[in-house]
Amino acid sequence: MRRLLLVVFVCLLMTGSAFAADEPIRIGVFNCLTGQNAFGGQLELEGTQLALSEIPEVLGRKIELVVVDNKSDKTEAANAVARLIERDKVNAIIGTYGSALAMAGGEVAETAGVPVMGTSCTNPLVTQNKKYYFRACFIDPFQGSGAAAYAYRTLNFKKAALLIDVANDYSVGLGNFFKQSFISLGGEIVSEMKYNSGDQDFTAQLTEIISKNPDIVFLPAYFAEGAIVLKQARELGAKFRFMGGDAMDNPEIVTLGGDAVEGFLHTTFAYDPSMKDMNPVAQKFTESWKAKYPDKEPNVNAALGYDAFVLVVDAIKRAGSADPDKIRDALESTKDVPTVTGLTTLNATHDAEKELGIVEIKDGKKQFIGTITP
Amino acid sequence: MSGPDGTSEKNIKTRDGILTAVAAALFAAALWWATKNLDGYKLRIINLIAINAILGLSLNLIYGMTGMFSLGHAGFMAIGAYVSALLILTPEQKTMMWILEPIAPWLLGLHTSFVVSLLAAGLIAAFFGWLVALPVLRLGGDYLGIATLGFSEIIRIFITNLTPITNGSLGLKGIPAHTDIWMSYGCLAVVLVCMVRLMKGNFGNVLRAVRDDEIAAQTMGIDTFRTRVLAFSLGCFGGGLGGALMGNLITTIDPKMFMITQTYNLLMIVVVGGLGSITGSIVGAVVVTTMLEWLRFVENPVSIGGIDIPGIPGMRMVIFSLLLIIVIIFRREGIMGMREFSWNWFFHERTPGKTVGGGPR
Repeated sequence: MRRLLLVVFVCLLMTGSAFAADEPIRIGVFNCLTGQNAFGGQLELEGTQLALSEIPEVLGRKIELVVVDNKSDKTEAANAVARLIERDKVNAIIGTYGSALAMAGGEVAETAGVPVMGTSCTNPLVTQNKKYYFRACFIDPFQGSGAAAYAYRTLNFKKAALLIDVANDYSVGLGNFFKQSFISLGGEIVSEMKYNSGDQDFTAQLTEIISKNPDIVFLPAYFAEGAIVLKQARELGAKFRFMGGDAMDNPEIVTLGGDAVEGFLHTTFAYDPSMKDMNPVAQKFTESWKAKYPDKEPNVNAALGYDAFVLVVDAIKRAGSADPDKIRDALESTKDVPTVTGLTTLNATHDAEKELGIVEIKDGKKQFIGTITP
Repeated sequence: MSGPDGTSEKNIKTRDGILTAVAAALFAAALWWATKNLDGYKLRIINLIAINAILGLSLNLIYGMTGMFSLGHAGFMAIGAYVSALLILTPEQKTMMWILEPIAPWLLGLHTSFVVSLLAAGLIAAFFGWLVALPVLRLGGDYLGIATLGFSEIIRIFITNLTPITNGSLGLKGIPAHTDIWMSYGCLAVVLVCMVRLMKGNFGNVLRAVRDDEIAAQTMGIDTFRTRVLAFSLGCFGGGLGGALMGNLITTIDPKMFMITQTYNLLMIVVVGGLGSITGSIVGAVVVTTMLEWLRFVENPVSIGGIDIPGIPGMRMVIFSLLLIIVIIFRREGIMGMREFSWNWFFHERTPGKTVGGGPR
């Protein structure tokens, strides 16, 4: 009897260890699925989930996504990351839309020593002095100077104006870096107007800008407010062109802005469904997105959600292990990994170095014009 | 125990004192156990409970005890959080963070210890509370609510635009994580003791009198305006203290953290717990903070009997709101109502006729 028990016990132990070998690699996702940033967070999560369905395994182990909502709230973001690390024991984390949330979550991950791959948190402060935070996106100074170079050199505009959302860290940062580069290139900033997130009436600022007669107005806004600005500018008879950043990259903008968004330019990540010469990863992404979500256009947020997953899995593969510290070390040496938004290299400050894309809205459709290499 | 009234009351007082001391010691031991055995996630929630309790108590002093409907608490939290953060960040961190505009030179070298920064946070928030109270507390009821709400928005917009001092909408990060369990529960203990003593003393009676009938209180010779200003400033001190602790827990702050939704969260704690009850605010803080986290499981994908139900983000807010509605329908006065915890609850039959608003129902 005792021997029988022993055999059973040994069998149990063996199956136990067999299970352990097959235990899935858990990747946590914290993103804003509800709250004011939900429109971006949802798209990113869908991108990440799409990537999982394409790459369900690494190192012969299944990958499991653990998704938690951060409600677009800082306290919740920190709680969410703590939960992923302590309760769900994730090996790596992906997230989030919104730099403030990334900073709150990043501190928890940093103390616990779990690597995080940011999706579209573009504020330079996010990865500053952080050992464990990386991001799949480029940062505001890079995009700002790229936009300024395009406006000044390619379009040959010498006089620019700015219209900035002063309550939005993204808008303030991007606007400021555009201004610095535009001035250092030799351009002139003729007017710098401000508004607050949630404003509906921009006629005062626009009238002031019109009176200064710029060639181009840089508008680093979120698409909901950006579309209203464009509409009101058209109504006031503005002749100059507008240029925005990646936050304007949303299929909704044409629906919201109608005719008024015609000719609007914005910088973004090097991906758009209208791209002519897509790289193979982007082609695959577009195809499977259209198969999975036939009634929705893919955009850069979805692409970045996808890319963040690709980068993490690539690091796990190169590390040959799911140990958080080994993943971190592998992430640090990420070089020229093919992703939807072009070849991605993570630099010394853990930010992605990739091409900048330019999109123009023509005939009511987004047209991908081309890329600028830094 | 069945002696003359005087000794019995004295006995009860000694008994309560001993019981309170024992309970506090047991609670401290439980916290010590928690720091050794629980993981970081659970400790974070326990920590948040203390901070929310401090904030709830301070709002309750303004709204529940003194009857001033204030929607400005997020603003005072913001003041506290920024004051504390700016005082404890090192000069190197400051120069690195102000990437848009250089930091104001006088601010750069300012550096104090955490406890000093907490005190400063509370005092400066109280000072602003006093400043606002002078004109605004001449209003009453809904008008006061609107005025304080406006003030809290003004603070937020000031912080957003004062880039050389606050780093604008980019916010601050890398605030040292000083808020550990001991710090937040220590602060809570101090706030709690002060509140209990305050409400048991004559000042508590004055506050209740002002709340229940201002004209009657005036006729009794109470300077109602001064009382309200004092209570409001004290409440703001708590708000600033709570904000500072919060900033040090999350280690990063920005103006968007202190929107009106933050005030609503606190209001929820106060109302669910029971307006005007110290015990209620603590119960409210425990219930609201833990429920929001605990309910996360309803957003996870589940499979019941082979059927997979995908997780719906936001589901926990729906359920949480339903729970709140149920509480308000069945207990309009909140979980505790206006009642306070008292040791008499456990000795009900031994103290006939002496349960001063303490016994259950």
